[in-house]
Amino acid sequence: MSFLRLDRVTYRYQGSKPVIDGVSWTINEGEFHCLVGKSGCGKTTLLKLAAGLLQPDEGGIYLQGEKVTKPSPSIGYVFQAPTLLEWKRVIDNVLLPISLKRKPTKEDYELAHDLLERVGLSAYRNHYPAQLSGGQQSRVAIARALIQQPALLFLDEPFAALDAITREELQDDLLALCRLQNTSVLFITHDIAEAVYLADRIAVMADGDIVYALDVHLPKPRALEMRYEPRFNELCFQVRQAMEGMRR
Amino acid sequence: MNRTSVYSLALLVLLLLGWELAARQMSELVLPAPSVVAATLFEGIKSGYFWPHIVRTSLEVLLGLSLGSGLGLIVGILMGEIECLRKLFFPYVVASQAVPKLALAPLFILWFGFGMTSKVIITALICFFPLLENTVTAIQYTDRNKLELFRVLGATRWQTLIHLKLPAGLPNIFAGFRVAVVLAVVGAVVGEFIGASEGLGAMIIASQGMMDTPLMFSVLLLLTLLGMVLYQIVHFFENRLVKPYKKETDK
Repeated sequence: MSFLRLDRVTYRYQGSKPVIDGVSWTINEGEFHCLVGKSGCGKTTLLKLAAGLLQPDEGGIYLQGEKVTKPSPSIGYVFQAPTLLEWKRVIDNVLLPISLKRKPTKEDYELAHDLLERVGLSAYRNHYPAQLSGGQQSRVAIARALIQQPALLFLDEPFAALDAITREELQDDLLALCRLQNTSVLFITHDIAEAVYLADRIAVMADGDIVYALDVHLPKPRALEMRYEPRFNELCFQVRQAMEGMRR
Repeated sequence: MNRTSVYSLALLVLLLLGWELAARQMSELVLPAPSVVAATLFEGIKSGYFWPHIVRTSLEVLLGLSLGSGLGLIVGILMGEIECLRKLFFPYVVASQAVPKLALAPLFILWFGFGMTSKVIITALICFFPLLENTVTAIQYTDRNKLELFRVLGATRWQTLIHLKLPAGLPNIFAGFRVAVVLAVVGAVVGEFIGASEGLGAMIIASQGMMDTPLMFSVLLLLTLLGMVLYQIVHFFENRLVKPYKKETDK
């Protein structure tokens, strides 16, 4: 059964030509989907629509069969920038989603410690965000998105500003965490190799529409060596051709 | 003590020496020497002559400051949060910014009498605007990404205000408060200039009448001290509340 379903979603900014034009897409439970495309093709808008941050002009978005009209409590969202609250310690940043609803319990703190440990930051839990590097801040943002154990996670180019090695580490961390909680993921990136490495299924976007879809059949869990195998490169090339093809 | 603060102290000594030398050439009525001023100041404090005036002016400043900045903060939050209020009142706020508030002092004395009330109100009025303006700006220009984060987390409007907009705007609000503190002393003193029998401002006017320049200088020193103490108090709180998370080097 489909978990998240986008049904002919159209979105336009006041009267201009649509930025999202009749997009349909389905994510099943536990699947990791990547959305790739050039800058300005509407990736972020589509993600915000799917998360309920924006309302479509036409069509509908259904989460477990229910129409999405506002952000559901069972989703997590990671923004392009880490968007941590500078005046809260790392641990309180991770617990923010919970502390907005109720006072965090001892179990919540344990879960937060657990998550921080998994992203390798347990030593930093009492630091302030300004004391962390960019990669560490992104890790905190991911831990924060996972603290409510969301069934569905949206990520908007969360690693775009990081160096290659840190990015690869975080990709592995993310995959491991999502497998652990059986989280469904919609991940935006403009990095083809990142998409192929992470995704079960890739959607290529251009001019507000999904123009190409590709299932990635690589063994799981992914490992570093796979990045240098011919099969991996072949898939990257396929995606790249799909992206190029749209220019003509 | 580091090198710059040594130089800074040396500069003070140099300035005092220069003052002392210059004062020797002039009548005490024009420029009293620092030694004479210090003696007057010490005498006045020891005899208890200054105390009621210091207390009076400090009280006016503190009451006016808390009233004015408290109201400025509350109105600023309301105007920052509620768009129609902001659109309705902002032209008036801009217009009232242009009114020289101190020019209203005689009017307030007419309305509220020669007692403390008129000075507190003048001070409050002066402190109101820097707080109002900085709070409105701080609330209005909260980081859009963080606002979206709070929407995703399903935060209510109140929670967004308390947990995001106010803490994020705190450095800005404090900047306004620092301006207000300095202005508060000005407000109280000018109020006392125009009509008061007690307070440091009234003492300046009295010393002018008595042609007692050393007394005037010692009152000026007291006022400077009052302003500096208040500023340092604000600075202390700012350090406690705002700085810890800004940069690790600021600790």
